[in-house]
Amino acid sequence: MAVGYGAAPTQQRGYYLYLIPGALGFIVIVLGPQIANFVLSFTVWKGVGLPRWAGLQNYQRLLQDDQFWGSMIHTLLFIISMTIIPVLIGLVLAALLFDYIREQFGEQISSLLRAGFYLPQILPVTTAGVLWGWILSPIGVANIVLKAIGLGGLAQNWIGDATWALAAVSLVIVWIQVGYCLVVFMAGLSRIDPSLYEAAQLDGAGWWQRLFAITVPMLAPEIFVVVLTTMIAALKVFAPVFVLTAGGPDNATLVPSYLTYYHFFTTQRVGYAAAIAVVQTVITVALAVIFLRFQSRQEAT
Amino acid sequence: MHKLSRLALAFSASAMLLTGAAQAQQKTFNIWWFEDPASSEGIAWTKALDEFKTAHPDVTVNFQQKTFAQLQASGSMILNSDQAPDVLEYNKGNATAGLVASQGLLTNLDDYVTKQGWDKILNEGDLVLSKYDDKGIYGSGHVWGISVYGEYVSCFYNMDMFEKAGLKAPTTLDEWVADMDAFKKQGVTPLALGAVDTSGQHLLASLAYTKADDTWIQNYQGLKAPLDGAPYLYAAQTLLDWVNKGYISKDSTGMKDPDAALLFTSGKAPMYVSGTWNLGSFASTIKDFKWGQFVIPTTKYSVGSTGNLWVVPKGSKNPDLAADWISLTLSPKYQTELANDGGVAIAADPSTITNPVGKNAAAVFKQIADKNGLGFYPDWPVPGYYDVLNQKDTGLFQGTLTPQQFVDQIKKVYDDAQANQ
Repeated sequence: MAVGYGAAPTQQRGYYLYLIPGALGFIVIVLGPQIANFVLSFTVWKGVGLPRWAGLQNYQRLLQDDQFWGSMIHTLLFIISMTIIPVLIGLVLAALLFDYIREQFGEQISSLLRAGFYLPQILPVTTAGVLWGWILSPIGVANIVLKAIGLGGLAQNWIGDATWALAAVSLVIVWIQVGYCLVVFMAGLSRIDPSLYEAAQLDGAGWWQRLFAITVPMLAPEIFVVVLTTMIAALKVFAPVFVLTAGGPDNATLVPSYLTYYHFFTTQRVGYAAAIAVVQTVITVALAVIFLRFQSRQEAT
Repeated sequence: MHKLSRLALAFSASAMLLTGAAQAQQKTFNIWWFEDPASSEGIAWTKALDEFKTAHPDVTVNFQQKTFAQLQASGSMILNSDQAPDVLEYNKGNATAGLVASQGLLTNLDDYVTKQGWDKILNEGDLVLSKYDDKGIYGSGHVWGISVYGEYVSCFYNMDMFEKAGLKAPTTLDEWVADMDAFKKQGVTPLALGAVDTSGQHLLASLAYTKADDTWIQNYQGLKAPLDGAPYLYAAQTLLDWVNKGYISKDSTGMKDPDAALLFTSGKAPMYVSGTWNLGSFASTIKDFKWGQFVIPTTKYSVGSTGNLWVVPKGSKNPDLAADWISLTLSPKYQTELANDGGVAIAADPSTITNPVGKNAAAVFKQIADKNGLGFYPDWPVPGYYDVLNQKDTGLFQGTLTPQQFVDQIKKVYDDAQANQ
């Protein structure tokens, strides 16, 4: 319809028209709710009725909320299981699939394995969470297997004991995340000139040496992107915790997103939930900005 | 601009035509509930709905199955929109029905109570949770919803295992402990429990209520005073003692209710404390042993209440039809049907009930309700208390919280809500 109005004054400005749908979507879906959330974080609101202005009350409460600080510490630990461990495992696996499995067993086996590792990414987290719940329950598969092979002493109340719960949830998250890292790294590997490996091999470099001297430096851009996206994901992790432990036992696996959900939907402290969400958003955006700055500086040099 | 406005005009005109056509057509009646289709209520109400459709041939009846979680999470927002149905099942209590009633999202049912004769079927105790004041606190004010069934928490027990062990169902707390001890000595963990789930906090509250008097219950449920922690301290100490003695497994902190129920239905654990909402599934899944219920020995109060409410949203276009529907589910025919499907009927004539499970449940509920012994659920007074109790329960069971710390922590949340209501 808009085209019918005739040509735009300059050709350059004509392009702006095509940005409108995207901009509208951004305003409606991202910007609008963010602003609404920011405003709500200064109010007391039960989700229905009229919000009441409360100034900085929610933020003051936040500073003294042990649950909130506990959840922030858990987030740091989840960065280990969502970013650091999956990236390390993903790197080794990608290199292994790319230049060992593929060479020895062929393209098909390598693709099959890659698809297998990626499968947890496709499975709905809720489904996977329920399955893991059955495995990790005190009367679940993991303990039954341990007892059957005579290692009953190692059987634990995995998700019901504060000592193990965080590690158990982390294990599930690693299982989910590895596939993502692997697929991105493998795509990156296909970009690397094979002659580099051949030259290194002729020089007598072993597999691990080639991994650290060639693969890792050449994959730097991919590693960078994966680290950034998974760290952001770690800051917002919700579904695995919700399905497996609901933040328990005794808040041992509580994360900020779950706390937001809890206050928004069950305690009806919508304003307080909004304040937690604002803090989360600020940290996430700050992290992204730091990373992108760092990246552009890297590229400049 | 000219084109646009003409377009807008055309749109609005056709929209008006459409609504006009819809109005000329049949009346529609939208009804929602969240009871599982396989539950006693689900079965009885589905049959009632068939009769309702036949009785109103001029009305298009649209039924939608919801889930408890759906309405728990976003019920108030749905009621606040034009998407609300004409009548729906809604969770009773201050934090749910009370909240939406106080926000003016429901239709006042005062007139219907006498007009439809509900006051002749339901006694004062049955209507306590129908009334909410303008702050959303139950017990007084207008009638905003009607419950047509009851619920209570009791101990399910495996009669065959009891018989084999030479034990009988207890009538006092001491007898109960003695039974558990006897099972433990025979190498059986007597009590299955989902400590991260509803059954954990219901056992806790059942024990607390054994030390509760009228004032305590009224203060506690009405959020009238800072929490008097003594009954909870007793309950926490007792539970910890039971865990230490092996009456309850420490592993229960990793179990949800379905896991614990499985231990009972598969005949591994002789006892399981939970609510009457299990009756339907136990009746259909337990085939190889006899089972029954005993009420947890208490002086007056049991964990239990009248059931969820039929409420009529403010925007309901057919409040009269909604009242007819409520009357139908309260009628002797469908009360008996409910009991025969294994549910807890609130107003059924016992002589007409043929299902022993439903007959017993109706009798037990009447016994508790008649002495005004419905102590309601422990998570009611404070929004979000359900999760707090679950979290702190697991802390107590796994040994990271002492009973005193447990009480201090739940008291902190309670008192905070009490002071800021």
